[in-house]
Amino acid sequence: MPEVEYTTRVARPREAVWEFVKDMNNWAPYLTGYQTHEVLSETDSIWTLKGDVGVLARIVKLKAHVTEWNGPERVSFTLTGMNEQVDGDGTLEMGATVEAPEGGSAPSTAPVVRRSFLGRILDAVFRFFFRRMHGPAPVRALPGGGGPSSQLRFRLRMDAGGPTGPLVNAMLAPALLPAAEDLANKIAAHLEGEKK
Amino acid sequence: MDWFKKKKRWDLETDVLALGTGAAGMTAALAAHGAGASVILLEKSRLVGGTTAVSGGVVWVPNNHHLAEVGVEDSRAEALAYVKRLTDGRTDDALVERFVDTAPAMVEWVEAETPLRFKALARYPDYHPEFPGGKAGGRSLDPGLFDANDLGPWKKSLRRSPVFGMTAMTVAEATDWGVFSKPLKLPFKLLGERYGKGLVCYGGALAGQLLKALLDRKIEPRLEHVARELVVEEGRVTGVRVEHQGQELFVRARRGVILASGGFEWNRALAAQFLGGVLTHPNSPPGNEGDGLKMAMAVGADLANMSEAWWCPSLVIPGEEYDGKQLHRGDFATRSLPHTIIVNRKGRRFVNEAQNYNDLMKAFFAFEPNAYERPNLPAWLIFDHAYLEKYALMTVMPGQPAPEWLTRADTLDELARIVGIDARGLGQTVDRFNGLAVEGVDPDFARGESLYDRFYGDPDHLPNANLGTLTKKPFYALEVHPGAIGTKGGARVNVDAQVLRVDGAPIPGLYAAGNVMAGVTGAGYPGAGSTIAAAMTFGYLAGRHAAATSGT
Repeated sequence: MPEVEYTTRVARPREAVWEFVKDMNNWAPYLTGYQTHEVLSETDSIWTLKGDVGVLARIVKLKAHVTEWNGPERVSFTLTGMNEQVDGDGTLEMGATVEAPEGGSAPSTAPVVRRSFLGRILDAVFRFFFRRMHGPAPVRALPGGGGPSSQLRFRLRMDAGGPTGPLVNAMLAPALLPAAEDLANKIAAHLEGEKK
Repeated sequence: MDWFKKKKRWDLETDVLALGTGAAGMTAALAAHGAGASVILLEKSRLVGGTTAVSGGVVWVPNNHHLAEVGVEDSRAEALAYVKRLTDGRTDDALVERFVDTAPAMVEWVEAETPLRFKALARYPDYHPEFPGGKAGGRSLDPGLFDANDLGPWKKSLRRSPVFGMTAMTVAEATDWGVFSKPLKLPFKLLGERYGKGLVCYGGALAGQLLKALLDRKIEPRLEHVARELVVEEGRVTGVRVEHQGQELFVRARRGVILASGGFEWNRALAAQFLGGVLTHPNSPPGNEGDGLKMAMAVGADLANMSEAWWCPSLVIPGEEYDGKQLHRGDFATRSLPHTIIVNRKGRRFVNEAQNYNDLMKAFFAFEPNAYERPNLPAWLIFDHAYLEKYALMTVMPGQPAPEWLTRADTLDELARIVGIDARGLGQTVDRFNGLAVEGVDPDFARGESLYDRFYGDPDHLPNANLGTLTKKPFYALEVHPGAIGTKGGARVNVDAQVLRVDGAPIPGLYAAGNVMAGVTGAGYPGAGSTIAAAMTFGYLAGRHAAATSGT
């Protein structure tokens, strides 16, 4: 059951991040492999993604159901595969607005997934392929001194079911962290670009 | 060659230059280096392994030295009788004899010079095992598993198969575990662990271990180097003009250039111009666009076997992509398992569906002169729900809901109407087939009679491993497209893999191996791994011969 968490800092106050995040239409296109999304209601939508499964790309349809709109702090959702035996859940959390430390540039927390040395090498290899298939990550300097900023944390868990679940999960695992990084950084880059 | 005269310098120089990193190119590079030559190996794509890396990775070698380990006897005479029949008169006997005589030595040499240790597959039959000289097993060699971490930083550059690249199992394991007939019994936890560890199998294992041997010899393939034109000086090929990241390079090869750049199956114009069938859904990496073939033609190479391919029926899951193109999955077993038939638009069966994939496809290309049409294109795989309950359909495991891309209906009449098949014909065909399936015999097309058919069937399905009724609704239809795992027409070569001119004389300095070479097996496909065995054998011959020439 692969689960990852990625945290970055956005050079915008929490309320500004929430204003953007609370409308799924704003950030759905930033999902890795985004093709289309269809909003069914305030809490339900269908995401069509071109997802990497091992070395090939497949169209995956996921039904997203928001379980918690808790602005400006958190949105939680569940995911259910419509054409694949996969489900999962995720959370976007916006931390309190703070003045960024002078010269501070590192994410405030490291990904929670603890990886072995071999695992980190595998992550690096996977990132190579991921970037080949999905293009470069947005280039952004993490907030330095001056101005309000807030923490954006994205947690994502996916679990493949059925008899092939253990194998599919092994393939999904290295894809999740780059996907979580991608979404969080694209949201941050969008908001920081908007600020300019 | 005005551009070359103006330039008057080489950017890189070597004794032997090989183009392509499939089994042919890597074996050629290793053989040339082993014979004392310096070597440069160029690869068009960003990944190493070519068509080999997406294949089953098996090598078909009659009289191989592992046969005794599985208790199989073989002989040169049997191998020659068998292969010559399958060539259908398209290959010089001398070339077939060179292949049969050299392949066993090539395998021994590869095992001595690389990490590869093959195992004979005792239960993997030749593709016409009942023909004179055919065998029930042993000639197909399994490369086993390979830990891609052994490649160090090159791990990320090893091409992975979109079909076999995620399930690290040996061919022997796949057979023992019943990969086709009992997919739910596969040890997916173990396969997940192997995937996580970086183990690869099949073509990835073969290509990976050849690459490892190259790296051990300090030969690093140069990726994304696209060979465009052969340089000819005073009648001899002396090098290649190459494009790399927008720059033009000239690479000098003092002793020889070895074309090992794959087939032309992804070049629509060449495929339409030359092939005897309609090839719309190739199964190989999309970079196989006939680059080497065009370069050989430009310097006057004779061509042979151009109307042939390693044909393979293709199935499609819409939206699946590999290397940025729609993936065409080769169908090796679905059509062989019970509860399936293939029909044309009249609803009629027209071939033994369980026939080997190469020869099966030829029935799709049959031509009806009165109507001036190919009656068996398009064609559809028709099956019932009993199939989906027991067997896998590409990525759909038994018992999973039928996917949205699959056409279905509760009656055969309705299914025929949706797809555009003659309903009356389909009904009659299924009625007859169901009767035959109950009896367990197929007098119409002999499905299930060959050991080869049964290898891909369900051994627990009685009375015939390949025949099952289509009675359980809903019924399903899936178009079967003409595909190929590679073309096998190309530059004609002599017994040393030297490319020949139309007058039969060798073009000095030019060699070919693999699918860019006119295939030694002609129209036929002797057994699993015939493509790679021929590629490695003529790569081995080319590398050694080029290294031994005096050069320029």
